[in-house]
Amino acid sequence: MSAQIEPVAGPAPIFPTFEQVFQGFANQIGMLREMAPPPTMPDERRLARAIDTLIEETNADEAVWLESCIHCGQCTTACHYFQATNEAKYAPMRKMDLYRKVYRREISPMRWWFRLVTSPVKLSEFEEAQELVYDSCSECGRCTMVCPMGIDTASLVHHMRSAMVAAELIPPELAALRMEQKQAGTVFGSSAEALKKMVGIIRDQAGVDIPLDKDKADVMVLSSAVDLVGNGNGLLATAKVMNHLGVDWTIRSDGFESANFGLLSGDMALWKQQADPIVEAARKVGAKTLVIAECGHAYPALRWNPMLRSGGLPFEMMYMSEYLGKQAKAGRLHLTPLEGKITYHDPCKTGRRGGAFDEPRAVLAAMDADFVELPANKEYNWCCGGGAGIFLLERATRLRDESFRIKLRQVNETGAEGVVVSCASCRLNFEAGRQKNHWDKQVYSLVELVADHLIDDDSTAAAAGAQS
Amino acid sequence: MSLLEFARGPAIHASLIILAAGIVMRLVGVLMLTRGADLSRPRDAFGNFKGYRTVFSRAWPSDEFTTVTRYQTVVAYLFHLATLGVVVLIVPHIEFIASLTGLSWPGVPNWIGVALGTIALASLIALIMRRLGKPAVYNSTVGDYVTWVIVALPLLTGLMAFAHVGFRYETMLALHILSAALLFAYMPFSKLMHAFWFVFSRAQSGVAYAHKGVRI
Repeated sequence: MSAQIEPVAGPAPIFPTFEQVFQGFANQIGMLREMAPPPTMPDERRLARAIDTLIEETNADEAVWLESCIHCGQCTTACHYFQATNEAKYAPMRKMDLYRKVYRREISPMRWWFRLVTSPVKLSEFEEAQELVYDSCSECGRCTMVCPMGIDTASLVHHMRSAMVAAELIPPELAALRMEQKQAGTVFGSSAEALKKMVGIIRDQAGVDIPLDKDKADVMVLSSAVDLVGNGNGLLATAKVMNHLGVDWTIRSDGFESANFGLLSGDMALWKQQADPIVEAARKVGAKTLVIAECGHAYPALRWNPMLRSGGLPFEMMYMSEYLGKQAKAGRLHLTPLEGKITYHDPCKTGRRGGAFDEPRAVLAAMDADFVELPANKEYNWCCGGGAGIFLLERATRLRDESFRIKLRQVNETGAEGVVVSCASCRLNFEAGRQKNHWDKQVYSLVELVADHLIDDDSTAAAAGAQS
Repeated sequence: MSLLEFARGPAIHASLIILAAGIVMRLVGVLMLTRGADLSRPRDAFGNFKGYRTVFSRAWPSDEFTTVTRYQTVVAYLFHLATLGVVVLIVPHIEFIASLTGLSWPGVPNWIGVALGTIALASLIALIMRRLGKPAVYNSTVGDYVTWVIVALPLLTGLMAFAHVGFRYETMLALHILSAALLFAYMPFSKLMHAFWFVFSRAQSGVAYAHKGVRI
């Protein structure tokens, strides 16, 4: 690889490159399909549960959004899946058609009328909608930016995913991971033991200490299955950065997993089963800050989840890029300059649907990066196509590959040599796109980039000081 | 009772009652539903109210989308403004409103009224041509086409009555008033309710995103 941006010289690599990590994941994902649990309930029950879920989750907000669509078609210009395929069914507004039908027959003030003129909802309609609310909607929210009514289609799609869970209609890969997380509490086998083992490898082979399971700490950091099962570099980088900052930090084996297949599948009971121990662990260690690993959907799962009363918690929740950005702004990150032109991809969940825009840019500024924005950036950033679990779905491969070309063009237009992402799903999807398209760009994780540019010893500090 | 008397009397009055009652029923029926609470801590303690500006800012697409949405936006604006002008600036319409409310204001000369009506109808045709031409984009339903016809009829019959085209004047005028009555009675049960929903829909999304510190 002819990387323009060379990491600061360090010891020989302990963990595989991200390219190899990606290959390993592709194989594991292939196995998930065989592990998917088949439906257990009779069809009538599945249908009734799906409808009941939608009725239960529909408040005035959802009702107004469902009422407001005028079929003006503008959302199609914003959706990467529609733009990539030009297929009618992928128009964002279609993704709420079935929800609207249920709403009209069950909740709307006109339900007496719609029960007369529309046919009862069938389970087959939910089966058909599965592709629309899983494979072809990453809940990125870009369509909301153009909709003249401002309809938040992503929220409506999320309710549809909850209905799909009730109807046992989760796509096989997500169903398998949901089942694993529900029953074993792990994702790809990333158990507390796997965490301890990884911490040991990092200590023994990289000589980097990770304060595991401290009783008290100011900062509690999360990890993720991607770090533990494949990309050890992610956790290694996190540890290097936290140690560099000199903060009192810990990772807890009783609450470390950022990935939440409850949220991704739409199973909010599982969401809670995963989120509660993390909150509890952070409370127990007396954390002032909870840092969420670079795992995009963990941000809405924890920081922004409307069902988690975070205002009453004794700690603040931050995404990794946010935490790093705050440290950079406070002048606590001492980094060597980054060579070469670089751009930044805002993950949907931390950007448009999370608001962490300035902080990752502040980190790049702290590296004196020759930074260039994507043509559509921040609130208007195009989704990479792999979010909300779609990266895992084999049958969504075409949608992902086609829509990634938009991202590819956007990055190429900047003339940057590399693109920084701060989300494991985005990164895996970028890596897939990079390999399939023989793309000549480098893809970096923000935290790994920071770890590679830390000024830790006096000689590099002096050298950097002499430069500035 | 002649057709014209029927149109001017019971038909239009009944349609206005349906219009008012229907709007109230649909707005109240939806807005009285519970509001889901967002328990997460807002990014900025007093920032959520900033979301209300989306109600106004979304009146025009952001720079990111101006090129792709230009046709739709410009033609839709032409249609809405011309139609509003037709409804409230043409002298016979003002007289009708005055007969109901006692309020009145000066109208525009006939040629301007005709021009506004023509622009409204032409832009409506331009919109349906695009809808028919790009089926994948518009996801059209029967309701979209029915609504189009019901909106187009008063414009068409009004222009025909003024130009003395078609049936004799009294009949055309009666048809014009009946088509307006149909529009009034249909409005609360159709997507034309977006005239009200847009405020709530934009505000909800604006506030939900402002909660996270995002301006949409």
